[in-house]
Amino acid sequence: MVKFTAEELRKIMDLKHNIRNMSVIAHVDHGKSTLTDSLVAAAGIIAQEVAGDVRMTDTRQDEAERGITIKSTGISLYYEMSDESLKNFKGERVGNEYLINLIDSPGHVDFSSEVTAALRITDGALVVVDCVEGVCVQTETVLRQALGERIRPVLTVNKMDRCFLELQVDGEEAYQTFQRVIENANVIMATYEDPLLGDVQVYPEKGTVAFSAGLHGWAFTLTNFAKMYAAKFGVDESKMMERLWGENYFDPATKKWTTKSTGSATCKRGFVQFCYEPIKQIINTCMNDQKDKLWPMLQKLGVVMKSDEKDLMGKALMKRVMQTWLPASSALLEMMIFHLPSPAKAQRYRVENLYEGPLDDVYANAIRNCDPDGPLMLYVSKMIPASDKGRFFAFGRVFSGRVCTGLKVRIMGPNYVPGQKKDLYVKSVQRTVIWMGKKQESVEDVPCGNTVAMVGLDQFITKNATLTNEKEVDAHPIRAMKFSVSPVVRVAVQCKVASDLPKLVEGLKRLAKSDPMVVCTMEESGEHIVAGAGELHLEICLKDLQEDFMGGAEIIVSDPVVSFRETVLEKSCRTVMSKSPNKHNRLYMEARPMEDGLAEAIDDGRIGPRDDPKVRSKILSEEFGWDKDLAKKIWCFGPETTGPNMVVDMCKGVQYLNEIKDSVVAGFQWASKEGALAEENMRAICFEVCDVVLHADAIHRGGGQVIPTARRVIYASQLTAKPRLLEPVYLVEIQAPEQALGGIYGVLNQKRGHVFEEMQRPGTPLYNIKAYLPVIESFGFSSTLRAATSGQAFPQCVFDHWDMMSSDPLEPGSQAGQLVSDIRKRKGLKEQMTPLSEFEDKL
Amino acid sequence: MDFESKYEISSTVDFIRGRTFTRVALQFPDELLKDSPLVAKALRSELGKAVRLYVMADAAYGSCCVDEIGASHVDAECVVHYGHACMSRTSTLPAKFVFGKASIDVKDCAKSLSHCLSSFNKPIMVLYGLEYAHALVNLKAEVAESLLSSHSNSSLKISYAEVVGTVIYPSVDHLTEKAQVSSQYDSLTKTRITVGGDEREIKSGTYYGLGGLSWNIPTGHKIEDYLLFWIGPENTAFTNIMLTFNNCKIIRYDADKKCLLEHLSNQTRILRRRYYLVEKAKDANIVGILVGTLGVAGYLHIIEQMKELIKSAGKKSYTLVMGRPNPAKLANFPECDIFVSVSCAQTALLDSKDFLAPVITPFEAVLAFTRGRQWTGEYVVNFQDLIASIGSEVNEGTEEARFSFIKGGYVEDIKPQENDKEEEGSLALAAATDKALSLQNQDPTSILFKRNATSGTMFFAARTYQGLNMQYENPAPQSYVIGRSGRAAGYLDEERKAEDLPGAVE
Repeated sequence: MVKFTAEELRKIMDLKHNIRNMSVIAHVDHGKSTLTDSLVAAAGIIAQEVAGDVRMTDTRQDEAERGITIKSTGISLYYEMSDESLKNFKGERVGNEYLINLIDSPGHVDFSSEVTAALRITDGALVVVDCVEGVCVQTETVLRQALGERIRPVLTVNKMDRCFLELQVDGEEAYQTFQRVIENANVIMATYEDPLLGDVQVYPEKGTVAFSAGLHGWAFTLTNFAKMYAAKFGVDESKMMERLWGENYFDPATKKWTTKSTGSATCKRGFVQFCYEPIKQIINTCMNDQKDKLWPMLQKLGVVMKSDEKDLMGKALMKRVMQTWLPASSALLEMMIFHLPSPAKAQRYRVENLYEGPLDDVYANAIRNCDPDGPLMLYVSKMIPASDKGRFFAFGRVFSGRVCTGLKVRIMGPNYVPGQKKDLYVKSVQRTVIWMGKKQESVEDVPCGNTVAMVGLDQFITKNATLTNEKEVDAHPIRAMKFSVSPVVRVAVQCKVASDLPKLVEGLKRLAKSDPMVVCTMEESGEHIVAGAGELHLEICLKDLQEDFMGGAEIIVSDPVVSFRETVLEKSCRTVMSKSPNKHNRLYMEARPMEDGLAEAIDDGRIGPRDDPKVRSKILSEEFGWDKDLAKKIWCFGPETTGPNMVVDMCKGVQYLNEIKDSVVAGFQWASKEGALAEENMRAICFEVCDVVLHADAIHRGGGQVIPTARRVIYASQLTAKPRLLEPVYLVEIQAPEQALGGIYGVLNQKRGHVFEEMQRPGTPLYNIKAYLPVIESFGFSSTLRAATSGQAFPQCVFDHWDMMSSDPLEPGSQAGQLVSDIRKRKGLKEQMTPLSEFEDKL
Repeated sequence: MDFESKYEISSTVDFIRGRTFTRVALQFPDELLKDSPLVAKALRSELGKAVRLYVMADAAYGSCCVDEIGASHVDAECVVHYGHACMSRTSTLPAKFVFGKASIDVKDCAKSLSHCLSSFNKPIMVLYGLEYAHALVNLKAEVAESLLSSHSNSSLKISYAEVVGTVIYPSVDHLTEKAQVSSQYDSLTKTRITVGGDEREIKSGTYYGLGGLSWNIPTGHKIEDYLLFWIGPENTAFTNIMLTFNNCKIIRYDADKKCLLEHLSNQTRILRRRYYLVEKAKDANIVGILVGTLGVAGYLHIIEQMKELIKSAGKKSYTLVMGRPNPAKLANFPECDIFVSVSCAQTALLDSKDFLAPVITPFEAVLAFTRGRQWTGEYVVNFQDLIASIGSEVNEGTEEARFSFIKGGYVEDIKPQENDKEEEGSLALAAATDKALSLQNQDPTSILFKRNATSGTMFFAARTYQGLNMQYENPAPQSYVIGRSGRAAGYLDEERKAEDLPGAVE
């Protein structure tokens, strides 16, 4: 631990070339927090007074209990490089002191939004991969997210200790495993070719891959070993590094390097010969307590042990020896300092991703140059609950200029449109704060390139915002973050005591602020709904809601509510007609299912209301087989004008049709939001207006007549086209050893899931299973799975697609029919569906 | 039941004679209209030729209110109202109410009542539909008898609400009087929870009045301690009781089916739904004020108040008179995000899935449009009670963005001053241009279908079809042609055509 005062820390913050902002990302349980801990233990900056406090990043009690990280936590590290190790450093620097702002992020997929928020304010990422489990689904997701944000990655192959102690693999086999892990990661990174960011792939021989054992606190990069051997072989370090990886073999018998194995028993791969084997030897010697052998070896390596440490035995001795020989902190921190960009460097290319406005204006330039004297540009990525209940710190990164206590800032919210006054406030920052471990220290100001927390803005910032100086009226905001998960699991909450309602309302508001992903809404029936990314996420949110934001007032939480979608199976069996209330207007319509993939294309925004009609008709005709002219006759999308349903005009030569278009569209927006079955949203239905008969007088074909009629005819056409329910389906990825497979299949079968991919991880006894699982069945899935596999399987669920339920909801007693009546009951609707005859009229 | 007593002919005659009215309007709801000739005949035979009687039916608004406009068409001096009534105060004419007499099995009702008393162990307040008022005396006697015989716990009491009276006179200067009375209430009831209806400090306790009933709660008791026992069908009068006394346990005795019903789930459901509508109203930009009455005292005042309230909330309001609202009428105003219905307590609660935009009551509007005001559980159904309370609201003046539970996030409301305070001076033109430019930016579909319009003109401008356009290419006036004549249901020339070609028109 490095003991600092706030003033000392503040001094380094001015050196923009000596700052590294980085996040630690990985799959759940690959050892992020443990690794971070070992870094913090060595280099963490803590306030002088609280020195000795431990466990820095898992600050919440529930995090410690569950052994997972829930909220991303920022921590600052200080590292002083030696002149010698910096001699190869080409980048700009001022002195040898470095400040590393590190953010430990959660690995569970439910908390991906935290990762997104962390990535926005960092420039580099340390990707942690378990050397046995390899690149997993969440590794891939977060890596893609990082690269999308133009975050430069470095990799560490973690849990090396497992190779030596648990698996006892020999050098060559271990090399192959590591090689595969690195390759897998590189495959993902290679897809993000980016001329500005350069080559983002990682290479051990270039020092961008580390090998670590977070639990034991040691790590190395090939640089460490290259330094050791360079002198011995009389070559320079970079040359030596190349020899230590890849197809380079050394035969101590002949003392010759070859690029192919000569086949002789003594000829071994450079990595095995010079890195793996020595470590293995040391570890084995320690574990076997062969101290007489150990001390000379250590002396040769230049490792000096303290006398009291020499009495340690077995594992403890090994740990201590390895930590002294190859300290994790210096290997990893040096890698970060060497290979991750400083804010000054990173903002040069990140400005394109970040700034919404023109890239040549003063703000873009200030961000690009990381100019501390330029206008303030600050992005608030999350709100952190403060110790006094109900208040929040606005946590973010200064991209240019400096923010100081008392500064009047212009707050641009997510809905701010330049030139308008919407979502815009001018307020002053009460205090600027930096984190020193768990303690916050007020500082006068914070210059660009650093992270900062601000007090006094929480009333005006909802989740994120862009801050600039008061006078900078023409500044554009920084682009909003894109999340990779969506809130699909919903529960209804109500307070046990009716008079607690104001508390609940207040609590929900605060909850919505504190978590980037959670959504608090209300059902038509007046129930408060909390929606989260997954069961675990929701559980944590509700706990926060009750304990922190409602002061412990009791709440009643309903069973999880899953939203469905309504769709149709076939084209309507006949053209249906509805008459307006005055019987003078008639609308004829048919419904049909959309072509496969079209609804997804609308979801993704490839097809939408604002397309150029020519482009749209090209996509529709080429990919979905639409008639070119028809593609131009799409009236609208819905619900909410962008949803995956549409109305197409198929009529020919109808008088006054343009007059009622708005009314039909209004009716459609309404109807597609609340389908005829259970008032769930519609999906993938195309409504074709076949014919329209209108009254000759405009007054009799107004909105009042047409809107309700359009709604009725849409319902009628939906009901005549074999309506079906769509249920949301998760993609589940499970990693487990072979003996657990039986249990996994059993649980999946019981939960209506089906496995579509089962793959053994090469070189491991682990299997990777991918399956689809209906969301409605997923509640309690992980605990059932854990029980059935004695804790060996751990699932990760992400929403994947909508799946049609085969049973007919119109048939009472069928599975879908039962669901429909359950939903109707929950919503307080009439239990019986409105019959077709209510919507369709006879001529 | 005989006709004479059902329609209270004799008391009606006394009422008319007593005030020497000469022109009397008889107002019948649709279901009683068939009896109107008999009633009129019976009255005429009693009153003679001197008094002119007019039968009115099919009121433009709810049939529970006195149709004063209809009555003034015939210059009536008073109205006799038959059937179910909301007992709202009239503004110009005196009215006599004849509730009718619904049949009830008094013995069974008394049995249920004493059963409730023993099983819930709470004092009971008996409330009833006005059509059961006639049986109250018998019921009281019956219950007293059964209590005596069963020697039940004497500490628990059954109290009965009384009918306020069957005649309502308009107050001369209603509004000022009302204001005075209300200010008196304020000072008196400050320390107590104000619950619905007419509440007045009386020496012996708290006075409640709702929907034509009134009752007292002795000092030291709270209405929440009582079990409310409602006799009558599940109608709007009952819903009002449920909403107003949402903290009380309510049991309904259905006189037709002779059974006891608990409506707890229904009660919370309706309340929650109203709560949702309030939240929804907060998001509205354009509010339609539906004038649902032209008779209930103080309606003009509350409309003015609503307009001011909506304006101060930064929203736009339009006042619409459309009689009884139905889906087709409301859908003629697709620009309105929400409607506030100013009408008597029993017709204001409209909740239909068929309406394009929800309809809320003035009380809910006050909740929704007053910043920082939270729903504490009280509910006021009569807008007269609101008139007093609105003025005393304190605006918290927080600048924090409002959290919308409908959109699931924080939203920013339009600032009220933005609409009316125009920037003065040299920058005025620039500001105006700025606004004009930003208007163009917005996507018309989002204005039309996502409720983003802030005024009717904005909505109109976004419409794809805006009605007939002037033709500027050919400025010369066109020669006139003879238009059609007749009614829209069938013009004269259309009828002729239909005769010519039978079967061509369906």
